[in-house]
Amino acid sequence: MVKKNNSTQTLSVLHKWKKNKKITEIFKYTYLYIMFLPILIVSIIFNYIPMAGVRFAFYEYTPFSQPKFIGFDNFKTLLTSKKFISAFSNTITLSFANLLLATLVSIIFALLMNELYNRFAKSFVQTIIYLPHFISWVVTASIFYMLLSPNNGFVNQILGMFGIDPIYFMADEKWWTPIFYFINRWRETGWGTIIYLAALSSINPELYEASSLDSATRLQQTWYVTLPGIMNTIIIVFILNLAKVFNLFESVFVLMNPMVVNSAEVIQTYTYKIGLQQSDYGYATAVGLFKSVISMVLVVLANNISKKIKGEGIL
Amino acid sequence: MKGSFLKKLCLILTVVVSTSNLIACAPKNFSTEKGTATTTTPTASSKPEKITGMFDTILKVEDGQAKVVEEFKKQTGIDLVITNPIHNQYYEKLNLAFASGDIPDVVEMGGTTYSAYANNGALYDMTSLVEKSATIQKLSTVTMDSEKIGGKLYGVPKASGNGTVTYLRKDWLDLNNLEVPKTYEEYINVLKVFADDPDKNGKKDTFGTSAAGLFSDDPTTTPDIYLREFYQDAYPDFKLVNNTWVDGITQPEMKPALERLRKAYSMGLFDKEIITNKTTNVRDKFYSGKVGAMSYWAGTWSTTLEDELKKAVPTASIVAIPAIKETNYTSRVPSVYAITSKAKNPEGIFKYLLEYMHDAGKGELLFSRGVENVHYKVTDGKATMLTVKSTYFFDPTLTISQFKDPAIIDPRISKSTKIFEADSQMAKLLPASAAYTKTGVDLIQSRKEIISKVVIGQMTVDEGLEKYKKDNQVIVDAILNEFNVAK
Repeated sequence: MVKKNNSTQTLSVLHKWKKNKKITEIFKYTYLYIMFLPILIVSIIFNYIPMAGVRFAFYEYTPFSQPKFIGFDNFKTLLTSKKFISAFSNTITLSFANLLLATLVSIIFALLMNELYNRFAKSFVQTIIYLPHFISWVVTASIFYMLLSPNNGFVNQILGMFGIDPIYFMADEKWWTPIFYFINRWRETGWGTIIYLAALSSINPELYEASSLDSATRLQQTWYVTLPGIMNTIIIVFILNLAKVFNLFESVFVLMNPMVVNSAEVIQTYTYKIGLQQSDYGYATAVGLFKSVISMVLVVLANNISKKIKGEGIL
Repeated sequence: MKGSFLKKLCLILTVVVSTSNLIACAPKNFSTEKGTATTTTPTASSKPEKITGMFDTILKVEDGQAKVVEEFKKQTGIDLVITNPIHNQYYEKLNLAFASGDIPDVVEMGGTTYSAYANNGALYDMTSLVEKSATIQKLSTVTMDSEKIGGKLYGVPKASGNGTVTYLRKDWLDLNNLEVPKTYEEYINVLKVFADDPDKNGKKDTFGTSAAGLFSDDPTTTPDIYLREFYQDAYPDFKLVNNTWVDGITQPEMKPALERLRKAYSMGLFDKEIITNKTTNVRDKFYSGKVGAMSYWAGTWSTTLEDELKKAVPTASIVAIPAIKETNYTSRVPSVYAITSKAKNPEGIFKYLLEYMHDAGKGELLFSRGVENVHYKVTDGKATMLTVKSTYFFDPTLTISQFKDPAIIDPRISKSTKIFEADSQMAKLLPASAAYTKTGVDLIQSRKEIISKVVIGQMTVDEGLEKYKKDNQVIVDAILNEFNVAK
């Protein structure tokens, strides 16, 4: 009797299970879920499981000793460390300026390229400007070091024609920052325009026709038709880039040198120095965790602002 | 429903992450207390079946490393498992290996890393093994003594530390009727000529001298190694004065040294990019025939520098010069092969690997020249190298044993080595210090920044020294306290 009750219960559970909408859906699209499974596993292994290492932010952890729990001491150190505060301030300055420039320059380029009626010219220009994105940062740095070299670099040769003494651009703090922005734009503008060009192509041409009938100039069409048409894309890209604002590393690392450390050191290069060169893994983890929390706050904030302005966010 | 599904998903993820906390538990670090290393009385050592090692500058895989390992197995019956990270990342990978518990039996290390690891109990104290080893006792006493930490030995030096000598373009000296300089003033005059169309091609396209930075941050070398003529008796790091550790930057002789560097830069004697140069691009500039004087490693490098230079300028030649009167060359404290305190059979590893590598016979030949008919061939008792550019486990021209190298040595190598040895002094190993381990990188960065800014003219010498004191006094005092206790 007991056995019969058990199998009835099992069948009843299975029956309820099958009736469950989500489960039914999974069975209906089994192969899609199977396709998704490896990605889920990889994501868990490489993104979620390593998060267990975050606990070392609360430990003193060096190659020389067993990890020792020290509570919030690492965070106290970083908030009072002049070097960290300088790195944090540089990160904010360099990243936000870069983000702003990236958004503006990419949009302007996309709008300009959208005005090209010759398809061949458009494709040619697009290819030329996005090719630098595929050059590694190490090669990019070498190219610009050569171009800006005080020993007969191209730029100094031009300056020499006007009687100006060679300038050691990369070793001068007042030049390094604008050059850093320039190099980033040179490398990333083309890539950024791809998304905006795609968004521009989705704007209904009838809107342009209607605005022409109302005698709108090109500039007015850009301001009242084009920009509102791609505003959602601008917001999405901006929020996504905001999440990466504190991840600035490679470009700074290859372009940095002892003369510009005060302006160039960012949180990631600071973490690299503390973690890998000084082997203070606990403190480096604390810096990394702090950075991640700030990034998350920024993204949530931007998303909320977007909801307030546009009525929708992306999260 | 949606909420319930999400809750279940979150629960699963939480379980996964929590489980991973157990998997990623505390690493298997060495269990010795800080400051005490394991040490045992030597007993009859059993032959290990396998030895794992992490090495820095050794024979590369593409240059036949596997053949050496194969031959070692044939000669000793032991599997040698090698990890060889790329040179620029070696110490980062070494530190990560120790932190993660993946600790090899033997490691190559030098400089402050060696002191720090020894002081923290990561390395096996082999003092008693060394004392009882007839083979190791025959090695150079000076070199062995330079590796002692608190009177104890934690590693066997690979070879002599070597150092840099200054190479001058001999063809430019001859073309301009110049003698090899013997004093600083003569050296500066030579550099002036080298910077001012020394090759008479009508173009001012050469540099007097170049270097990989004004301050070397390589942990296995001394910071002034590429600019000895300018630093002279000043030393931009911690040094012993009357048996007390002091900060060389704040010593009186540093001011004239910085003034010499600053003046030379303003006179255009330096390559303007000296601050941002790496060793690779300094060598490239030298090979292109644009640099008149360069300090670089004595020995084998003398042939490489000249041979590569001749590819661009067939009539070029170089000469290694004795140190000028005001200074001397520096022999760095060599890297060691150390046995880690995690190794299961340290006596066996010492006997069958470290002693074998320095036996002045078959073992040393294998690790310094490679395998016969792969790396060299022997004709009439003399070995001719078949591969020219390989780095071996250690340079046989820098041997610290009685090893008789069968290879035909290029006379340029012997000449530059002799010049170096006649004029060199051994550097000192810095003691271990927790404060130095924690803040050393920041201090080095500050030194590089200030020296660079002073030399390039962005600060006066006094301003630079003042800023250095202001920014680093606390760190320096903490380090010096620990150094002077530890010595």
